[in-house]
Amino acid sequence: MSRPAARKAAPKGEYIETDSGNKVSRRSAITGTANITLGGRTVIMSDVHLRGDLHATRPSPSTGGSSSKPPAQTAISIGRCTVVSTGSVLKPPSRISRGIVQYYPLKIGDNVYIGPNCCISAIAISNHVHIAANVTIGAFAIIKEGVKILDGCVVPPNMVVPSGSVVGGRPARIVGEVGEGWGVSGGGGGVVGGAEGVEKWVEGGDLRELVRSIK
Amino acid sequence: MAQAFPYTYYSCDCYDSNTNITSAKRASQQAPIADDEDERTFDPRSPRSNYSLYPLEHLLYCEDCQQIRCHRCVIEETLAWFCPACLFEVPSSLIKADGNRCIRNCFNCPVCMSTMMVNSLDDPTNPSSSGGPYILSCPYCHWSTHEIGIEFEKHTGISQQLSRVANGGRQIPTQKERDKERERLKDAEGRKKDDRDILSGSDDSPTRDRVREDIPPSQEDSFSNLSAFYKTQINAQSPASFSSHDVSFSSPASYARIMNLYSTSSTKKQKREKPVPMREASGVFEGLTIFDPATDAATIERIKKEGWSTTLAPAQKLAQINPNIRFESELRPIPSILCTKRGKRCRSCRHILAKPEAKITSTRYKIKLLALNHIPRLSLRALSTPTSQISASGPSASAPAFDYNALRPGIPTHFLLHLSNPLFDPVRVTLATSSTTPGKVQSRVTILCPQFEVGANTDVWDDALQSSLSPVKRTPALNADGQIEAGKIWDRGRNWTSVVIEVVPGFLKPVTTGFSLGGDDGKKKEDEELDEDEDLLEIPIFVRLEFEADMVEQERGIGDPKRSVEGQREKREEAFWAVVGVGRVAPT
Repeated sequence: MSRPAARKAAPKGEYIETDSGNKVSRRSAITGTANITLGGRTVIMSDVHLRGDLHATRPSPSTGGSSSKPPAQTAISIGRCTVVSTGSVLKPPSRISRGIVQYYPLKIGDNVYIGPNCCISAIAISNHVHIAANVTIGAFAIIKEGVKILDGCVVPPNMVVPSGSVVGGRPARIVGEVGEGWGVSGGGGGVVGGAEGVEKWVEGGDLRELVRSIK
Repeated sequence: MAQAFPYTYYSCDCYDSNTNITSAKRASQQAPIADDEDERTFDPRSPRSNYSLYPLEHLLYCEDCQQIRCHRCVIEETLAWFCPACLFEVPSSLIKADGNRCIRNCFNCPVCMSTMMVNSLDDPTNPSSSGGPYILSCPYCHWSTHEIGIEFEKHTGISQQLSRVANGGRQIPTQKERDKERERLKDAEGRKKDDRDILSGSDDSPTRDRVREDIPPSQEDSFSNLSAFYKTQINAQSPASFSSHDVSFSSPASYARIMNLYSTSSTKKQKREKPVPMREASGVFEGLTIFDPATDAATIERIKKEGWSTTLAPAQKLAQINPNIRFESELRPIPSILCTKRGKRCRSCRHILAKPEAKITSTRYKIKLLALNHIPRLSLRALSTPTSQISASGPSASAPAFDYNALRPGIPTHFLLHLSNPLFDPVRVTLATSSTTPGKVQSRVTILCPQFEVGANTDVWDDALQSSLSPVKRTPALNADGQIEAGKIWDRGRNWTSVVIEVVPGFLKPVTTGFSLGGDDGKKKEDEELDEDEDLLEIPIFVRLEFEADMVEQERGIGDPKRSVEGQREKREEAFWAVVGVGRVAPT
């Protein structure tokens, strides 16, 4: 179902648009930009915190730890047409291995919607995932394709969410399956030529229209 | 339903409509609207409606029956089983043998049901060679198998290791050991009996002691005992010469059996003697567990001593494999339950409606007949002020957002009902609704333009080309006074049309009773008290579509040969109930 319009009106020039069409809010907090990749047409809203500084610190075997400039390691990679809503924090997962804290890259696929005020520490989020508001995803969780995570859900660390499931509760449990038509826009969906105010995108579907509407 | 307002549910009328007629009539006081087929209105509040209303994404469409298909009118067939935690496919032969549980390392926490992980208890200052002992621990609530005294030597094959160890670290005998032990005990008892017969002594306490001193048999023990006992009983009953692996017709035993089957009743009677009635289990080795009030007393004592906090919640208890446990110390990690991938068929014509690819990792479908490709999508939104032009930017409009959770009672509010057509033919739509919504809070509903057309879902570029020729006029339904004119559509596009609905939300409490506080008797008060969700404003709308479509391939040629002309068009109509959830009425 399309969600009601709840986004706040943004002042002019809220977003910086990159060559590949990424829209990054001026009011977002991004640390370690060198370690973050955005796939293009991805929206980072205001007050989003991307912790790119938390990258893997393992000495790579090729350099042997002797080189002066450490190679840029990806800490967060986000796919195309993904929307990260206001107030969300994306923090790469970490664990203690041999007495030292090790960070692992956080990977997010295409057409992923992350609602407001989420805290994401998953190791991998596949394509077409819809994450509602106030969701916490624990470290090393794996979210497979076409998953809907309900409002206020806490996905425990290391959980694997199989594709096509609806997840909710604290701790998260698989509460159902999305319908066959979930994420299918087109046909009756107001994809093209919808009247003003009627959302042109559907949950779990292509978010290109949503990205386009954010200014 | 925790769905954001406004929402639309579609009704699948596969349920028994006879019962609904009576309930709907009873529930709704107003006269049923004049419907061309049946004289009833749909009541979204009737308890039955819960099971017939679905969001459009969940509905399928059978092209042969030309009907919506919901969860209740499809047949599901399992294509594959897989574990939701490790995403490995489990072959169906294994399902039959081991049940629907993952036999790898996947376990759920018995306290909070989240996935458990294997952790090492290795001392980093003094590491052991194997890296272990290991425990299963819950990353969410920090429960671990350490609390029930179980540790593992290896980090793989946890389920095998777990099946061999009971809570507290005691070894559980395997099936083979159990059988052997049972035989031994049986022999011992038999010998005891013989001895006793010979000596005619009455001292049988040693046997009893041997059984008693042990811990009472676990559920698995008694199950294996009982199943072994029944197996011996069945073997004793069936003719000894005929066993399951001896099925060749050349053997004299099976020949005799066949002759026995096909011979006349008289000879059968002669041959067969009355079967000896089966004996029931009569001892611990045979799986009989005698209720001992002492265990109950002990349980009560334990609850007295340790309090309720050590007992289990019903959900925790039911999730356990052995549902007879009571205390936290008896919890076991739960092997994760497998999930399935299922195909769906129409219940009446057996055609496949949805068939996912068999591979677990794939999310694609081979066949998927969705209702949203056959049925117009209805969506509702508030029309904040009928006169003001809404900017085309849509969601980022500067007007304050309409609060669907607080509809003002008694004030006429306008909503736009938007219908978009997925079909490749233009559709004539007739909408109908009862003038007041069912339920205690009666809201008046008027569809200002109940009959209109929705354009065909043609190529996007057609629209672009056409619109350049004839620019779409905004607000065509406004008359000179700025009032919304009835009988005119609000706006239309390539494959969509929107019409205005006027809603006057009802009052949560009748206005008259607000003044008379004293004289009300209890019964009347109870009658006026609102149930849960009575403030919910849901509008049932009957949608009827008429369109001309190409004839279905199969229908051609079957009927009249004259009709089997290429490109034959047929008139079709479709009708269904939909329920639009507008919002909640604010208390006055």
